[in-house]
Amino acid sequence: MSPRTSRKSGNVPVEAEAPPRISRCPHCGTPVEGSEDVFCCSGCEMAAAIIRSAGLDSYYLQREAFPPRPEGGGGDWDAVPLAVREDGMAEIRLQVDGLRCASCVWVTENVLQRTEGVEEVTLSYATGRARVRWDPERLKLSEVAGRISTLGYRPRILGEEGAPDTDLLVRLGVSAFAAANIMMLSAALYTGWLGGMHPRYVALFQWISLALAAPVAIWCAEPFFVAAVSGLRHRVLHMDLPIALGVSVLFVHAAVVTVRGSGDTYLDSMGMLVTLLLAGRVLESRGRRRAAEAATALAATAPATGRRRVGTAVEVVTAEELVPGDLMDVASGEELAADGIVTAGRGSVRMALLTGEAEPVEVGPESRVVAGSVLMEGFLTVRVTAVGRETVLQQMAHQLRLSADRGVKPVFTDRIAPWFTGATLTVAVATFAGWYLAVGMEKALLTSVAVLVVACPCALALSRPLAAAAGLGASARRGLLFRSGDALLEMGAVDVVALDKTGTVTAGDLEVVASDPQALRIASGLERFSSHPIGRAITRAAVDGGIPLPEAEEVREEAGFGISGKVDGREWEIRSGGPGKVVLRGKSGEVWTILLGDRVRADSRSAVEGIMAGGGREVVLITGDVEGIAARMATEAGILEYQAAFTPAMKADWIKARQDEGRTVLFAGDGVNDGPGLARANVGVAMGTGAASSILVADGVISVPSLRPLLAGFSAANAAKRSIRQNQLRSIVYNLGAVTVAAAGLVNPLVAAILMPLSSGMVILGASRVERAVAVETRHAGIPAPGSGRR
Amino acid sequence: MIEMDAIFFLLPIAVALGAVFAILFVIAVKRGQFEDLDDPPERILKD
Repeated sequence: MSPRTSRKSGNVPVEAEAPPRISRCPHCGTPVEGSEDVFCCSGCEMAAAIIRSAGLDSYYLQREAFPPRPEGGGGDWDAVPLAVREDGMAEIRLQVDGLRCASCVWVTENVLQRTEGVEEVTLSYATGRARVRWDPERLKLSEVAGRISTLGYRPRILGEEGAPDTDLLVRLGVSAFAAANIMMLSAALYTGWLGGMHPRYVALFQWISLALAAPVAIWCAEPFFVAAVSGLRHRVLHMDLPIALGVSVLFVHAAVVTVRGSGDTYLDSMGMLVTLLLAGRVLESRGRRRAAEAATALAATAPATGRRRVGTAVEVVTAEELVPGDLMDVASGEELAADGIVTAGRGSVRMALLTGEAEPVEVGPESRVVAGSVLMEGFLTVRVTAVGRETVLQQMAHQLRLSADRGVKPVFTDRIAPWFTGATLTVAVATFAGWYLAVGMEKALLTSVAVLVVACPCALALSRPLAAAAGLGASARRGLLFRSGDALLEMGAVDVVALDKTGTVTAGDLEVVASDPQALRIASGLERFSSHPIGRAITRAAVDGGIPLPEAEEVREEAGFGISGKVDGREWEIRSGGPGKVVLRGKSGEVWTILLGDRVRADSRSAVEGIMAGGGREVVLITGDVEGIAARMATEAGILEYQAAFTPAMKADWIKARQDEGRTVLFAGDGVNDGPGLARANVGVAMGTGAASSILVADGVISVPSLRPLLAGFSAANAAKRSIRQNQLRSIVYNLGAVTVAAAGLVNPLVAAILMPLSSGMVILGASRVERAVAVETRHAGIPAPGSGRR
Repeated sequence: MIEMDAIFFLLPIAVALGAVFAILFVIAVKRGQFEDLDDPPERILKD
């Protein structure tokens, strides 16, 4: 797509025998037959009209990407409970999907801002989250949501966000302020060694340093004390133990020196140590929070609604308002809001999120249907049997959350920490004992304090949070969001990658599997304006296949029956031809069949090859589907091994069996039925397009419809692990040297103050290489660089 | 003697001034000014 595509461009002449000119829809850029200024659908026409009337024409000149085609919003927004404040204004948080560039955000924000009744809108460029404050008396929520979805973006309701963790940041600020001032005073003290300084000034500087250091040692360093103590309680030598020990020894030592008025203090080293460590923690928690928030946002949903029959009338109600016994109408293309039994009508229902099977199931009177499934064709009247939390879907989701809470997964443990901590303590004690016996108390105390200062594992403790934060960021920018650094690092150990079929290896959506291009062209003309899943699949296939959408006239869509109209001046109709088939008939006797079904994603094969590259990892397809389909899909995706006809429990058992063999398993899936597997696997990755509950139990979420982000994840995990290992090695070498010098009694506060930032700087440099390493590796694998695509 | 000891009250004043900025920073954090560091820069470009 070329940037700055205005409405006048894209006028590509076609080959001689096709007289209709091809142009691009001025709004969404879809190629259509006809002269300029022809919109591909009424949705685009409306979106453009709104943008023009708001005076935001410059959007078309500035945008860097085409917006998605408007598909109409789902759900009944007016049924959402509103929190109205005292001044009569209501406020709501929304997640807006489909924003592709900064201009998209700008135009959406401004269109809303210029809507009458809206008081304030902020839409985040980075996350696509909006906060809208408006007057509910003058404007309905459905109108707010409608404005967004008319532009082609999809709004979803978000819950209230938790208060962000500002505590660490405040601690960091206080500690940085104190450390900087202590350092300034220390510099004066160090120069005092040369020229001689009156004891009065030394005392002044030391007392002020001590006053500044007190809040650092007592309050800013509190998280390290807490972690060290809880580690001791669990009989673990935690990495924070030597830090806590170092900080307290340094502070107590300085207090004693200052009160006695003789000797030197190490308070500048202490301030720097605490500041650097807190900075590392802040960075890590930021990276983690951002990824976790993005994952939670993917689990947000549009409110579900149903149509309830009251006598002969039909009213639209939210899913919560339905009660067992109600009669509910469901039209083709709609999602069921509750569990129930069909009382009248026939149709085919797709339950992919629940069962993992993409193929629709035929239903008729007395059939059981469940909430969350989609009626692909037909028309049903359903007697509601269960609603809300009682539905099969919600029950399964609930079970899943319970099992995920119970099973605490083994995390990436730092094997070096206890060894290192033990060694440091031993050396400190030995130093003290040695000097005490050789010289005396005074010298023994000074040297053992010096040992603890230089051995304080600042660099070692920094290496993990910094590398994890860098890895999380690198992976998130490429579409794989992780909830924690542990999960990311665990990914580096994975040697078995199990993939679910539907929605993971395959698109999980209806796609055109086979069709004559000519038939596809005519069908896409008829379906151009349809919001039905089949219609959308046909239009998408035409657009993807580079077929410009033809113009259609007199189009009539009858829910449950089909669609008819004129293309090229001749009459056509599309009718259902049984499951996975539609038939296109022309007035003059042409009959074409278009096959629809689930397809392996176009880039799944390359993703699978990338995962297997280097031979370290084995890829297995696990599906509940029958042998034949599993074998075909596996071959298509380039997967060598497959397991067919697996129930959800069998998937989890299979993963367990592999783990018992000592393997580390990553499982990627999208449905509620994949939940047990996602919870069981060492690393569970959910598809962002899948069931909300699967996203909530998974360790990571892929935010784009592709498996390629897994490659970026592996690369980020390896780069982060490599960085940690190198940094640990470096800091151990450094510590060995420094401790030897300190134990020999050759370290004074100035030497310590110079040595410490050296080792920490090394670690920071090492972590900053993670992003670069991932960029190089993923560029080789052909994953688009960050920034080219926006969530 | 008295002018020699200027540092005895100048130094505490300097530290107190620094502390004022530290407190301002804490207030800024509490007001949420550090929650979203990505949007404001982009916003300037658009407006």
